[in-house]
Amino acid sequence: MPTTTTPSLIRVLMRPLRRAVVFAAVWWVVAEADPEGWVFGIPFVALATGASLALTPTREWRIRPVGALRYAGYFIQQSVLGGIDVSMRAIKPSLPLDPLILRYRMRLVPEYARVLFADTVSLLPGTLSSGFEDDTMTLHVLDCELDVEQSLRDVEQRVADVFGLDLSAEGGELAAIDGGAVGDCR
Amino acid sequence: MIGWISIALIATGAFFFMAGSTGVLRFPDVYTRLHALTKADNLGLGFVVLGLSLRADSWIVVLKMLLIWSLVIVAGATASHLVAEAARMSNVPPWRKRS
Repeated sequence: MPTTTTPSLIRVLMRPLRRAVVFAAVWWVVAEADPEGWVFGIPFVALATGASLALTPTREWRIRPVGALRYAGYFIQQSVLGGIDVSMRAIKPSLPLDPLILRYRMRLVPEYARVLFADTVSLLPGTLSSGFEDDTMTLHVLDCELDVEQSLRDVEQRVADVFGLDLSAEGGELAAIDGGAVGDCR
Repeated sequence: MIGWISIALIATGAFFFMAGSTGVLRFPDVYTRLHALTKADNLGLGFVVLGLSLRADSWIVVLKMLLIWSLVIVAGATASHLVAEAARMSNVPPWRKRS
């Protein structure tokens, strides 16, 4: 594949090295800093680095520390709310569910950002991502009374801030699916 | 004191695991059950990790538990997305309250 910039030798060598350092740090934690753990650790760090390079040869994203920290705080808060919400629905004798499948037109473009977006949405109160199609994400909503659109827009902005991305002007709204109207509680 | 806080946190975690399992049993279809599994278990494990962290002998054990928690979150959220997508692909109809 033709590329416009030829990466220097140092950059080519740095890439596997950086990843190996990250995996070594993970192993070090898993082995609880036991030096004997490296007998298994070194081969697995090598395998993990190889797998990582095969699956994602180039890292396209950059993480912004401020955005990432703010995201982490928001994530913890929302996953607490999400867990409480679904637990109460499960325990209440009346089983308060009124599910709906919706589609959301994403303003995030890069695939890695969409993956983080989808994973975050699944831990938010009442929403579960269930597939991508072109620029839309399909999601299952536990209760059609929830104001999903506003929280999706909010999460999308926070995910964009993690990577320092600009959101596209198009999208950011719910689209109907299966012939039903948006917010249709019947 | 720390011992009691730890017990309270672990018990809270156990509560969310129980609620999540109750949801899996009571909810009507695959989509709603996935909600219960991912969200309640993520929170339950978070509380258990917090509670155990207070009892940990060294900080690296705390780091290890936080690492496990984050891997469970990523794996759980991604797996539930894939299961829900597979269910939609094979036209599993979502349960509706009234129809």
